[in-house]
Amino acid sequence: MSSTLVPEVPVTNGREPAERAPTDWKTHAMQSRIRKRYAAERRFRLLGLGAVALSAAFLVFLLGTMLINGAGGFVRTEIALPLDFPALSLDVEREQLAQRGADLALAGAGLQNAVGVAAVSAFGDEGEDYLADNAWLTVREAIKDDPSILDRRVTIAVPASSRIHLAATDDAEPAIEAAAARLNAAGALTRGFNWSFLTGSDSTDPTSAGIWGALKGSLLTMAVTLALAFPIGVLSAIYLEEYAPKNRWTDLIEVSINNLAAVPSIIFGLLGLAVFLGTFNMPRSAPIVGGLTLALMIMPVIVIAGRNAIKAVPPSIRDAALGVGASRVQVVFHHVLPLALPGILTGTIIGMARALGETAPLLMIGMRAFIGSAPEDLASPATVLPVQIFLWSDQVSSGFVEKTSAAIIVLLVFLLAMNALAIYLRNRFETRW
Amino acid sequence: MTLFPLILLAFGLALIGWLVARARAARLQSSGRERLHSLPGQHGWYVAMWIAAPTLIFIAFWSWLSPALVVDAVLATPEAAQLPAAGFERQAILGEARALAGTEGLGAFNPLAETLAPAFEVYIARYAWIGTGIAVLLAFAGGAYAFTRIAPAFRARTQVERGVMLMLLVASLIAILTTLGIFLSLLFESARFFSIVSITDFLFGTVWSPQVISERDPGATLGAVPLFWGTFFIGAVIAMAVAIPLGLMSAIYLTQYAAPAVRRWMKPLLEILAGVPTVVYGYFAALTVGPALRDFAALLGFPYASSESALAAGLVMGVMIIPFVSSMADDSIAAVPTSMRDGSLAMGATTSETIGRVLLPAALPGVVAGILLAVSRAIGETMIVVMAASGAANITLNPMESATTVTKQIVDLLTGEAEFDSPKTLAAFALGLTLFVITFLLNIVALRVVKRYREAYE
Amino acid sequence: MTDNSLPATKMSARDVHVYYGATHAIKGVSIDVDQENVTAFIGPSGCGKSTFLRTLNRMNDTIPIARVEGDITLDGENIYSPAMDVVQLRARVGMVFQKPNPFPKSIYENVAYGPRIHGLAPVKSDMDRVVEQSLRRAGLWEEVKDRLHDSGTALSGGQQQRLCIARAIAVDPEVILMDEPCSALDPIATAKIEELIHELRGRYAIVIVTHNMQQAARVSQRTAFFHLGHLVEYGVTSDIFTNPRQERTKDYITGRYG
Repeated sequence: MSSTLVPEVPVTNGREPAERAPTDWKTHAMQSRIRKRYAAERRFRLLGLGAVALSAAFLVFLLGTMLINGAGGFVRTEIALPLDFPALSLDVEREQLAQRGADLALAGAGLQNAVGVAAVSAFGDEGEDYLADNAWLTVREAIKDDPSILDRRVTIAVPASSRIHLAATDDAEPAIEAAAARLNAAGALTRGFNWSFLTGSDSTDPTSAGIWGALKGSLLTMAVTLALAFPIGVLSAIYLEEYAPKNRWTDLIEVSINNLAAVPSIIFGLLGLAVFLGTFNMPRSAPIVGGLTLALMIMPVIVIAGRNAIKAVPPSIRDAALGVGASRVQVVFHHVLPLALPGILTGTIIGMARALGETAPLLMIGMRAFIGSAPEDLASPATVLPVQIFLWSDQVSSGFVEKTSAAIIVLLVFLLAMNALAIYLRNRFETRW
Repeated sequence: MTLFPLILLAFGLALIGWLVARARAARLQSSGRERLHSLPGQHGWYVAMWIAAPTLIFIAFWSWLSPALVVDAVLATPEAAQLPAAGFERQAILGEARALAGTEGLGAFNPLAETLAPAFEVYIARYAWIGTGIAVLLAFAGGAYAFTRIAPAFRARTQVERGVMLMLLVASLIAILTTLGIFLSLLFESARFFSIVSITDFLFGTVWSPQVISERDPGATLGAVPLFWGTFFIGAVIAMAVAIPLGLMSAIYLTQYAAPAVRRWMKPLLEILAGVPTVVYGYFAALTVGPALRDFAALLGFPYASSESALAAGLVMGVMIIPFVSSMADDSIAAVPTSMRDGSLAMGATTSETIGRVLLPAALPGVVAGILLAVSRAIGETMIVVMAASGAANITLNPMESATTVTKQIVDLLTGEAEFDSPKTLAAFALGLTLFVITFLLNIVALRVVKRYREAYE
Repeated sequence: MTDNSLPATKMSARDVHVYYGATHAIKGVSIDVDQENVTAFIGPSGCGKSTFLRTLNRMNDTIPIARVEGDITLDGENIYSPAMDVVQLRARVGMVFQKPNPFPKSIYENVAYGPRIHGLAPVKSDMDRVVEQSLRRAGLWEEVKDRLHDSGTALSGGQQQRLCIARAIAVDPEVILMDEPCSALDPIATAKIEELIHELRGRYAIVIVTHNMQQAARVSQRTAFFHLGHLVEYGVTSDIFTNPRQERTKDYITGRYG
C-alpha cells in the first residue's frame, strides 16, 4: 500500500495559528502549580481513606456495642438460698411427688410463697426481690429430684433477679448495688454460663428468657423457604438462560425478576397477609406462611445468581455435549448444571442469609406474638430470631437489653457462618474459564 | 393425612413407579427383539412423572380447598347455630376451635369453641382421608396409563423432556405471578380503602392521625403527605447524605488507591455492613445513636430534641446503604475501559484528576442508577424506622425533630387489634401500594439506565 | 533515506530490565532515541516492544506488579529518579494507544483536557488557539472545525485516533510514543496516520511500536527489532530491512516467524 493511493491530507490548508513557545516546566509558577496539584491529590486520597476508615469504624463500633452489651446475656447470676424445709412446713404428700401431678401439688402447697419467705429470712425484708420470679421453679425441680430434702435444711442455688444480676455487671441504684455487694461478700453469688438462654423460650422475666423457641421457628421457616425457593429459582434460571426465546414474555419475566429483587421486603409481607392469610386462610404466625413469603422474596436472588453462574459456563462445553448427540435437556442437566452449581449454591446461601435476618414481612403475617414454647410443626404459632430481637428491644425491663444484644450475637454468628460458607464454596469450587 | 406426609407419599409412589418401569423397560431391552428408543431410566422417569405430577397438583388444590370444606361441614352441625353472625368474633371462635381440635386438655378462651372442637376433629379427619384416597387413586391412574405405554418404540425421553421444559416454564412464570399477586392484592385492598376515604384526601391531606378516625369523615385524619415527607427526608435526604459520599469515596479509594492486600481485606469487611440484619441496625439506632444524638443536641442548645429523631434513623440507614452505593460505584467505575484511565494518566494527569475529570463523568450514568436503587432501598427500609423513628407525623426540616415514614406506619397500622375491614387496616395497603409504585418506578428507571450504560461499553 | 550520522539523543535507556511479578519481560535493553527521527520498534507478539515503550513515560507505574530496573534518561535526566515528577514526565513524553481512546467528552474538551490540567492555557482565547493548532497538526481541523462540541466518541476510528494524537500534541510534548496506533484502523485511516507521522517528524521525537514491517519501513528512519525481551538489532531502517546483521532479524523480516 503506497501513500499515492491516499487522498491528500489537509494538514496546512488554513492559516496555522502562531507558534507556541515551548513549555518551560521549571518556572516558579509552573512548579508551584504542580505542588498544588499534588497537594490536591493527597487531600483526595486522604478523603478516600477517611471514608473507608469511617465506614469500618462504624462497623467495629456497631459490633463492639453488641458484644459488650450482649456478653452479659450469656451469663446468669445465682444466689445460694438457704431453705429450712421443716420450718417452712409445706403441706405436701410424699406419694404425690413421685406422680405426674407433682408440679401441681407443690404449687398448691404454696412453694412459691415459701421460697419468698425463705429469702426474706435469709437476706432481710428485700430478700424476695433478689430472686428471679421463677426461682421457685428451680427449688421445685430440686424437690422432685430428691424429695428427702423436704426433711432438712438445704442450700439451693437459684437464679438471681435481673436487678441483682445487673448490679454485678453494670451501674445500678445504690440500694441494689449495696445488696449485691453484701451478697457477694457473703459468698452467696455465683456466676455461670446461662444454658437456659440457649434452650429456653420467650418469657416475661428476662432472667428466664431464652432463644431456642425463636431459633427453632427460624429453622422451620428457613426449611420451607429453601424447599421452595431453591428448586423454583434454579429451574427459572435454567429456563431463562438456556431455553427462553427472545420475546415479550421473556422480557416480562426478566423485568419481574429484576424488579422483585428490589421490591421492599415489607411489600412481600403485605402480599403474605393479603394472599396467604386473607385469601387462602392459612394459619397466622405459622412458619409455613413465613417460609412461603420469604421464598418469594429470595427467589429472585437465586435466579439472578443462578443465571450468572450458568452464563459463566463456556459455550464450548454445550457444543461438545451436543456434538456427541446429547439432547438439550441432557446438556443442561448433565453438564451445565453441575458446573454452575457452586455459583448457584453461593447465591442461594446469600439469599438464605438475607431471609434469616429479615423481620418486616414476618411482622406483617403475625409472627410477633408472644410464644412461650418452641413451635411443634410448620403450622403452629412461632416467632423467628430477628422478630424475637425486635420484641425484646421493645421491653421496658432493663434486663432485656443484654438479652436482646445476646440474641443479636447468636443471629450474627449464624449469618457469619453462612457467609463464610458461601465464600468458601466460591473459592473452593468456582472455576475460572 | 396432613400436607407433608401426603407429599412424601406422592414422591414414594413415584419412586416405586420409577423402579418398576425401569425394570420393565430393561426386560424389554434384554429380550432384545427390537432396539429400545429410550434408555430404561428414561422410561422410569416417564412413569414417575405421570405419578407425581397429577398427585402433587391435586394435593396443592386439596390443601387449599379442604379447610373451607371442613368449615362448611362444621357450620352445618347443630352446635354451630349459636355462633355469632359473620364478623371478627365468629372468625376468632372458629379459629380457636380448629386449634383446639387434635390437642389434648388445653382450656378454651371461649366455651363455644370447646363445643365446636369435636366436630372440627371429626371433619378434619374425614376430609384428610378423602384427600388421601383421591391422591392415591390419581397416582395409580397416572402410573397405570404411563406404564402401558412402555414399548421399545416409545419415545420416553422426548416425553420426559417435554415435561421438564413445562416445569421450567412454570417455574419462571412464578416471578410474574408474584409481581401480579403483589400488584393485584395491593390494588384490591386499596380500592376498598379508597371507597371509604377519597384518594385526594389520602394523597394530599396533611394530617395523619390514624388513632382518631372519625366515622363521618375518615379522610380528615388519613392524609399521607407527612409520611411521604418523612420517608423522603429520612431515606432520600439524610441517609443519602451519609451513604453517597462515604460509599463513593470508599469505592474510589479501594479501586484506585488501595494496595491489593488492603482491598482484599477492606472490601469484604465493608460488605459485612450490608449483611447485618436491619433489626440490628434498628436496635443500635434506638439504643445508642438516638439517645447520643439527643444528648449532643441538648449540649448544643436544642433542649427539646427527640431521641427518636429523623437524624438517628437516617444516619444509621445511611451507614447500612454505604456498601450498596460503594459496590454500584465500584461496578460502574470498573466498567469504564482502562484505556480511558491510561489515556488520562499518559497525559500527565494525577490520579485524582483522572478520577474527577474522566472516570466519574464516564461512570456517571451507572453511579446515578446505583443511587436511585439505593434510594429505593432506603425508602422501603422498615425495621430501622420502626425501631428508631417516631410515630409522630411531622412535616419538618429539622433533623433533630421526629418524623415518621410510610413503612413505619404500615407496621403500626397492621399490628394493632383492629378488624381487617377498618379504614385503619386498609390504609396500610394504600400506603403499601404507593410504596410499591414508587420503588417500582425507581427500579425500572435505574435498571434501564444500568442496562443502556453497560451496552455502551461492551 | 536518511544520513547515517547520529543526531542529538533525546531519550536513552541503559541495561533496562522489566519484571511482571515473576516474569522477566525485558532483558537488558539499551537503546538511544534521537530527536530528529522516527524510531520504530518491531518484533513478534509478546516480544516486549510495547512493554518497553511504556517504560519510557512510566505508564508501567499503573501496573502494581511491574518493576523496572536500569536507567532511562530524558535529556540526560533519569526519569526513574525520585526527583523526577511523573506528571511532568508524562506531559513531556506523550502517548498514543493501540485502540483510539477519546474521552467521552466533546472534541474540544478532549483536546483541551491536557492543557487544562497542566494550566498551559489559562485564558479561553489561548485555549481556543491551542485546540485549533493541535487539531491542525493532527490533520483533523478541517474535518471537525464545525462540530467541535460533538462527542469525541462519535468520530470514525481513524478520526478518533487522530483526535488522540491531537490530544497528545496539545500539551506540547517533546516525545510522542505510539503503541501500534494503526492496528485497529482500516487501510485508508492507516495511511492518513502514517502521513501525519511524516508531518510531525522533526517537531517531536517519535517512537512507534508496530506489528507491521511495511509500516515500519514506510514511516521510520531507525528500527529496533525486539525478540523474547531482548533487543536483537537496532539501526538505520533501510539497513535493517535490506541488510540485517542478525540471523533472527533476517528470519523475522523474511516472514519465517512472527
